[in-house]
Amino acid sequence: MTSTKISFRFMFALLVTAFSIYLVFFLNPDGALRILLNLLTFAGIYGLSAIGLNVHFGWTGLLNFGHASFMGVGAYVTLLLMPHAAGREGEVTTTGLPFFAALIIGIIAAALFGLLLGLPAIRLRGDYLAIVTIAAAEIFRLLVRDLESITGGVYGIINYTENFQKYRPLFIDNFSGNLGFSPSQAWVCLAAWVSIFFTVLLLKRLTNSPWGRALRAVREDEDAVRAMGKNAVWLKLQSFMLGAGIAGLSGVLLAFNYGSLETTVFIPLLTFYVWAIMILGGVGTITGPIFGSIIFWVIISETDRLAYLLFENANGQQLAGVRFLLVGVLIMFLMIFRPSGLLGKKEELLLDVK
Amino acid sequence: MLDQLGNGLLLGIIISVASVALSLLYGVTRIVNFAHGEIIALGAIATLFFSSPLDYRVLFLEKFSPLGLNFAISCFLAIVVCGLFGGLLEVFLFRPLRKNDVGNIAVLVVTIGLSILVRHLYLLFATGKVQNFPLELQRRQTYLFFDMTPRNFNVLIAGIIVMIIVGLLLTYTRLGKAMRAVRDSEELSSVSGINSDNIILITWVSSSMLAGLAGIFQATINDVRWNMGFLILLLIFAGTVLGGIGTSFGAMVGGLMIGIMVQVSVGLPFMEGHTEAKNAVALAVMILILLFRPQGIFGKKERIS
Amino acid sequence: MSNNLISVNNLKKSFGGLKAVDVQELSFKEGELTSIIGPNGAGKTTFFDLISGFQDADSGSIFLKDKDISNAQPYKIARMGMVRTFQLTKVFDRMTVMENLLFSGSNIKNDSFLRSFIKLNSQKLYESNLREKANEIMNDLNIGHMANSYARELSGGQKKLLELARSIINEPEILLLDEPLAGVNPKLAEDILSLITKLSDSGITILMVEHNIEAVMKISERIVVLAEGSLIADGIPNEIRTDSNVIEAYLGKADE
Repeated sequence: MTSTKISFRFMFALLVTAFSIYLVFFLNPDGALRILLNLLTFAGIYGLSAIGLNVHFGWTGLLNFGHASFMGVGAYVTLLLMPHAAGREGEVTTTGLPFFAALIIGIIAAALFGLLLGLPAIRLRGDYLAIVTIAAAEIFRLLVRDLESITGGVYGIINYTENFQKYRPLFIDNFSGNLGFSPSQAWVCLAAWVSIFFTVLLLKRLTNSPWGRALRAVREDEDAVRAMGKNAVWLKLQSFMLGAGIAGLSGVLLAFNYGSLETTVFIPLLTFYVWAIMILGGVGTITGPIFGSIIFWVIISETDRLAYLLFENANGQQLAGVRFLLVGVLIMFLMIFRPSGLLGKKEELLLDVK
Repeated sequence: MLDQLGNGLLLGIIISVASVALSLLYGVTRIVNFAHGEIIALGAIATLFFSSPLDYRVLFLEKFSPLGLNFAISCFLAIVVCGLFGGLLEVFLFRPLRKNDVGNIAVLVVTIGLSILVRHLYLLFATGKVQNFPLELQRRQTYLFFDMTPRNFNVLIAGIIVMIIVGLLLTYTRLGKAMRAVRDSEELSSVSGINSDNIILITWVSSSMLAGLAGIFQATINDVRWNMGFLILLLIFAGTVLGGIGTSFGAMVGGLMIGIMVQVSVGLPFMEGHTEAKNAVALAVMILILLFRPQGIFGKKERIS
Repeated sequence: MSNNLISVNNLKKSFGGLKAVDVQELSFKEGELTSIIGPNGAGKTTFFDLISGFQDADSGSIFLKDKDISNAQPYKIARMGMVRTFQLTKVFDRMTVMENLLFSGSNIKNDSFLRSFIKLNSQKLYESNLREKANEIMNDLNIGHMANSYARELSGGQKKLLELARSIINEPEILLLDEPLAGVNPKLAEDILSLITKLSDSGITILMVEHNIEAVMKISERIVVLAEGSLIADGIPNEIRTDSNVIEAYLGKADE
């Protein structure tokens, strides 16, 4: 009985996603494919991040509002370990690790930062944890902005994409040329979706395992977990590390999609975006954020039209404003009318925690 | 250093007023209100709207032109507007959520959505540029040890007076006692004849009015920005949590401490050339204190898990 | 080496000046079924919280199997074989009844991230054995038909049963039961009582806090009475029934 129910929800999510992609073609008679590539790239990256957040909140019940900092740690550590240029003068660093070595260290660094940020979680309950995590993420961002000599500060990091693009397979260039894509973005897009694929495989393996079960028990009742002889603190820290590592990977991909990395990317709004995607897809699900992310980015990228309707001659700031405004509305709407999102089970609705 | 202390006191009193408002709301409703910053900004923006000269184009849309009212009257009206806004939020958003038994975490996420929505409404319809209140420039004077403009000094005094009044009201009036009763147990108070819906409504209105006042203070000292509330929100959280969330006295002291910490940290030796990171110091202190005293400085221990 | 399984000395705990627990000396022997009774606010649950590590005592010491556990973490105490239940039933609401039991029965090694990731055959075997054991316990306790329901869908009494099932799946040496009969209908209460007797007969040491005096008198081998945090009586049920201190403590409360 349950399985048919799941597949119904799955079909519904698939349908909505397909419809939203159709909408892109409908609204953009010209150049729909290029828009689609752009939004699928972002959807892949943010979806991956939301999958990581779901390990924190959906599986373990950790109210993490500092997710942007995990993405940031992953991105900064990885980029700084590779050849790059940074700062006002564009100071060039020619030596560095190859991409994959740097990436692995970046992911580990993000996981360790998750461990660090998880330490307050040992003693703090829900809403306190939310405040502490968002504050810690801001501390990270302010420090990165301030340590100009290392991180490039407000001037950011440039000239690093080649480290990754040199691994680009030839076939991408071929079909990108035919379809009018940017080959480098197509490569990032592919990398993002491959990452999602393997992350989902990993999490599917873990979710019904004894470890996944233990995380869910922590989410339900920490005291009972302790009374059963289990170390709830260590389980929470492990959850923090896994989710943060996944976020770190998505942060690296985000950096490669942008071509230059600035601290303003990792403002709290990024975290809220990821939250919106997670809720839209379904808290506690594994594949939900994928659908949530695609739909989310279709909405985001098509709001320009809405902005033009609202304002004649809208400028960039107004376009962005309408976009953000819509994210706010989406979050509120979902929380009030469909807190289980597209794929979430009503019986396992996670947001009614008292 | 003394200059920094003066600035710290100013920032501290703003955060203090805003923290008391946030703490009051949390104490009675258990809502961690991420949209608190937007109510603060509303205080500033509404004041700007009421007080700017008629021909002054502060607003994006031609349709809205300022009213050019007397500044004091504008401030008063702005606070009323904030109270009204808070009341509307309670009646049309948070009360229905409460009646439908929506959990605290869900409500927290709703306030985040609300915050993003309202903030960008300001950006679109109110003020995309940094604005100033229509007040003349003033020269700094010396008060006791501190150099500040007479206007800023007035803000400081007004802030202190407001805090004292709020403290007295909470401690000695029937309403203040009722608020504490609702805070301690909603069920209990509805049995004992206190209408908790009304108390919560009054809490929303008064919390929003205080937030609006904090916004006016902030804009008087600095300027009006569409995102001014969100920029200061984390410091307000820090103040509230530091003092012990839900305790008004704690929020007052916590807010003051945070403000002073932010400004004084600029003068620390290792902060030389790193003034941008001054907020980070205050936030880090908050996290450290929470690690060792999760209930905050004045909070009761039962509040933690 | 004493034959006391648990012993406490000078155990003190107060909340803001209010004395919750102040016990000079108290110990429990292996295999005993002891009930802790006392008027509301006597400090019974706090006493449980202290010996199971959920709260730290202000002073005094607690020994479990001659090991000092005064400052030990709750999970470490549980691993030593002393498992507790809660006054307000704590089940894992959004997990199935089966998952509730599997989680509780699974050992830390089995729970580890690495093993869960590698999924050795030995883990699969362990899990299927565990599943069998869980089924057995569920059937014993008449909640077998609910195995695949979410725990939140259970009635109050069924949740109590689930909590009991969860506590015994690891075959503990000592069970601390905090009001196992609270909010349970009389029929189910009978079942739970006979289950507790059965567990006691099988050699498990049981400490129980319970308000249902009749039930307590019926099944306990020993009764400990607390009032305002202090020990006022300690003996077999018949002694307690006639103890003047106890009658005063209860009647004093009834006068209010």
